[in-house]
Amino acid sequence: MPTSSADEAGRPMPHLLVDGLSAGYGGAPIVHEASARAGLGEIVTIVGPNGAGKSTFLKAVAGMIPALAGKVRLAGEDVTNMRANHLARRGLGYVPQVNDVFDTLTVADNLAMGGYLLKRNEIGERTEKVMEVFPALKRMLNRTASKLSGGERKMLAMARVLMLEPSLLVLDEPTSNLSADLSRVVLEEHVSRLGESGAAVLIVEQKAQAALAISDWAYVMAGGVIRISSAAGDLLARKDLAEVFLGRSTGDGEVPKAS
Amino acid sequence: MSQLVPAIGFGLITASILAIAAVGFTLQFSVTNILNLAYGDVMTASAFAAYIANHAGVDIWLSLLMAALFGAVFSMLLNRFVYFQFVRRGTRLFGMIIVTIAMSLIIQNVLLAVFRPTFFSYEVSASASYTFAGMILTGSQLAIMGIAVVAMVSVHLLSTRTRLGKAMRATATNPGLARSCGVATDRVIDVAWLLSGALCGIAGVVLVLNTATFSEVTGANFLVPIIAAAVLGGIGQPYGAMLGAVTIGLASEVAASVINPSYKDVVAFAILIVVLLVRPQGILSEVASGKEVAA
Ligand SMILES: Nc1ncnc2c1ncn2[C@@H]1O[C@H](COP(=O)(O)OP(=O)(O)OP(=O)(O)O)[C@@H](O)[C@H]1O
Ligand SMILES: [Mg+2]
Repeated sequence: MPTSSADEAGRPMPHLLVDGLSAGYGGAPIVHEASARAGLGEIVTIVGPNGAGKSTFLKAVAGMIPALAGKVRLAGEDVTNMRANHLARRGLGYVPQVNDVFDTLTVADNLAMGGYLLKRNEIGERTEKVMEVFPALKRMLNRTASKLSGGERKMLAMARVLMLEPSLLVLDEPTSNLSADLSRVVLEEHVSRLGESGAAVLIVEQKAQAALAISDWAYVMAGGVIRISSAAGDLLARKDLAEVFLGRSTGDGEVPKAS
Repeated sequence: MSQLVPAIGFGLITASILAIAAVGFTLQFSVTNILNLAYGDVMTASAFAAYIANHAGVDIWLSLLMAALFGAVFSMLLNRFVYFQFVRRGTRLFGMIIVTIAMSLIIQNVLLAVFRPTFFSYEVSASASYTFAGMILTGSQLAIMGIAVVAMVSVHLLSTRTRLGKAMRATATNPGLARSCGVATDRVIDVAWLLSGALCGIAGVVLVLNTATFSEVTGANFLVPIIAAAVLGGIGQPYGAMLGAVTIGLASEVAASVINPSYKDVVAFAILIVVLLVRPQGILSEVASGKEVAA
């Protein structure tokens, strides 16, 4: 049984509501009946060991692989197994863990593709706005994306998804490959700003401490199952945090008392 | 030396035909990730479509347009009703190559059954010849070069200046990400088959216009130089295919005139093999990149 904090009731209305989702890659399901939600303005983090099924879960939510069971609702509408291009029109922005940019396109064209659903004249304006967030990209607009460094690539992937101002952001390890400093900036400034701007944010992060620090809610996934659903602060405060992240402890671990 | 100048003239015409065919071929492969070895046979089928129109009294240039339309629709349907059915059931790159070889044989044999095993030719009104710097070119040959230039410029403008072109390049590299940007990739892939099929149809007719007669294997016999041109420039790269077409076209015609006409394809082969030896990663990086077959 997944454990949950008492204040689940205090969360905002769900913008994204995932209920009993199972997903996999053709064989047996890898994610089993996982449920999660994210409200507007809420930052929700999923943590868990490698191979837990976190990316698989996000892919099914983002319409990249089919849901084998369960329901996904976005802004009240049933979007289960809707194709990703239709989800994009409904405000879902997704940054995958790998293959997160168009390798053969220039940085500018990558951003233009991010704004594919915008009107032609809006693309320039949005590109300017997005480059205010990632000024480093300004110097490399004409560079082919395959020639970017790992960190520059991540910046581009984040910038690309921001082109459409999505109402739901699904980010699979947005800080992998980024330096410790830049990771902190991305999480503390950009991702939190997205939350503040009213978007619902669902992220998977390896840098669990940093991610939880900016999150409102957290899920721990292990073995394809959501083991813990808890307020991010409560999870951070647990003494057995390391165990919890590995999905080994699901008990209500004591919250350390100030001595 | 005296044979060299006309050989360059022939080389430019061969290069023009090759460029149209190779750009279509490479465009098809880069967007759909299907290495369609039935491409030459779709060229032949389109040439027959033009033949039917032409012998029903339609002007050859209008017949060429009809062949382009035929090639476009035929290619799209070939993907929808044959190739995609395999991709949907999980057939990937190498399996798909076998499927396209099977389609190649089927198309050839259907053409053989419908038309007789003989040689066909178009009715083209005789036109004047023109002489440029020692090269003698017929009106048709000049038209072929003109068509090639128009086709190349159109492909260039489409892929760099339009949303559709950008969406095609994006779908070619990363179909999943393209979809999550809002691109209806199925539609883009249909367009890619239509476009490459139109180039294929045009290539089929201009090939026949240049060789004067054709049979059910004419297109298939031209597949080696097409693939050589596409691979030479780096498969999946339209500009590379143009460059490859010029290289192979000129080299094979010059070789034909200074060595022996029957060595044309040998030269194309030789260039292809040398390229594969020197830059195997050119073709392998595309094939092994592990991206899904997008159909
Ligand atoms: N495309 C795929 N085809 C088949 N199996 C896959 C595929 N992608 C992932 N898997 C398998 O699914 C399981 C879960 O993978 P997933 O990528 O969801 O894990 P994760 O929690 O995101 O791990 P990480 O933290 O390492 O990114 C793994 O056992 C993996 O081998
Ligand atoms: Mg992952």
